[in-house]
Amino acid sequence: MHELGIVYEVIKIVDQFVVENQLLKVEKIVLEIGELSQAIPRFIEECFPAAVADTPYETTALEIVSVPAVAVCKSCHNEYGLIEHRKICPSCLSEDFTLISGREFSIKEIAAY
Amino acid sequence: MDELKIFSIKKGIQEDNVKIANITRSELKEKEVFMINVMSSPGSGKTSTLVRTIEKLKGEMGIGVIEADVDSDVDARSVQNAGAKAVQMHTGGLCHLDATMAKAGIDALEVDGLDLVFLENIGNLICTAGYDTGAMKDIAILSVPEGDDKPLKYPMMFERVDALIINKIDVMPYFDFNMTVLEERVRKLNKDIKIFPLSAKTGEGMDAWIDWIKTEMKGGKSNESNA
Ligand SMILES: Nc1nc2c(ncn2[C@@H]2O[C@H](COP(=O)(O)OP(=O)(O)O)[C@@H](O)[C@H]2O)c(=O)[nH]1
Ligand SMILES: [Mg+2]
Ligand SMILES: [Zn+2]
Repeated sequence: MHELGIVYEVIKIVDQFVVENQLLKVEKIVLEIGELSQAIPRFIEECFPAAVADTPYETTALEIVSVPAVAVCKSCHNEYGLIEHRKICPSCLSEDFTLISGREFSIKEIAAY
Repeated sequence: MDELKIFSIKKGIQEDNVKIANITRSELKEKEVFMINVMSSPGSGKTSTLVRTIEKLKGEMGIGVIEADVDSDVDARSVQNAGAKAVQMHTGGLCHLDATMAKAGIDALEVDGLDLVFLENIGNLICTAGYDTGAMKDIAILSVPEGDDKPLKYPMMFERVDALIINKIDVMPYFDFNMTVLEERVRKLNKDIKIFPLSAKTGEGMDAWIDWIKTEMKGGKSNESNA
């Protein structure tokens, strides 16, 4: 399943960081997931326990920060929520926009000893 | 015991995949091998379209196919019979190929001496869209029976690909599939996309698609690092 692969990827990156920085224990992993990225936060949360079972991350908590898709209108420079306004600028009805957030798909930080 | 500390990582989960894909792309370029990543839902006609394409092009160039869609080797045998070198990957249960798996397929195929390689990706319109495989071009196939509203349901795929094949146009009379509406919906997501309506069954419409491949192989731009 897609999300399980993503979680393995996350663990791999965290593991590398842990080794490089000689950390003892990871308490929490914080992910940043944009509304327009292809990962679904709920699915990631659901498969996290399975991915970390019997690993040093078994007791690590997972936090997902969801980042809304925000666009700036190219015609009137209005900033609006892309999904709630269905890609149409609510102030001038233009469909030309620049995306300023929403594609995030990264590990933001970890809390560790 | 040490204090609990917050470490900022800020690392894209797919950064490594993009890196590997870019390495694959430059290795293929060096060998003068052009790779096309073919994506669609199961049954849209990836294998059938490839068979037709191979038949049209095999007189002019060496063609290879990396089959990743199904675990059995039926697709690999079809494209082999059509005249391509083929390798079957075993991807049981996976929903997409990433750059590492694609690389394994390329190595298994042994692409030296080939001119054109197709990667028949796993039948999935959602997950495959998120992964750069290292191909020079990404294409999707949508078949008429799937309906003209697919771009509304799965925008990521249509946003990302360089070309879209609309397959099975021979059955258009039996479905209320509106080609004009479909094109409008797709162009809204991706204004530069090439669209090729065709039938892998009758061969209608194949020529425009074949011409596009040839043009792109002759130096059409490649898609450096599309995340
Ligand atoms: N009518 C019609 N059927 C097609 C066409 N292309 C493929 N098919 C049929 O669709 C089914 C799935 O095709 P296949 O190439 O195996 O799809 P894949 O799973 O995407 O590789 C097969 O039964 C094909 O015979 C077409 O252009 N017209
Ligand atoms: Mg197939
Ligand atoms: Zn506006």
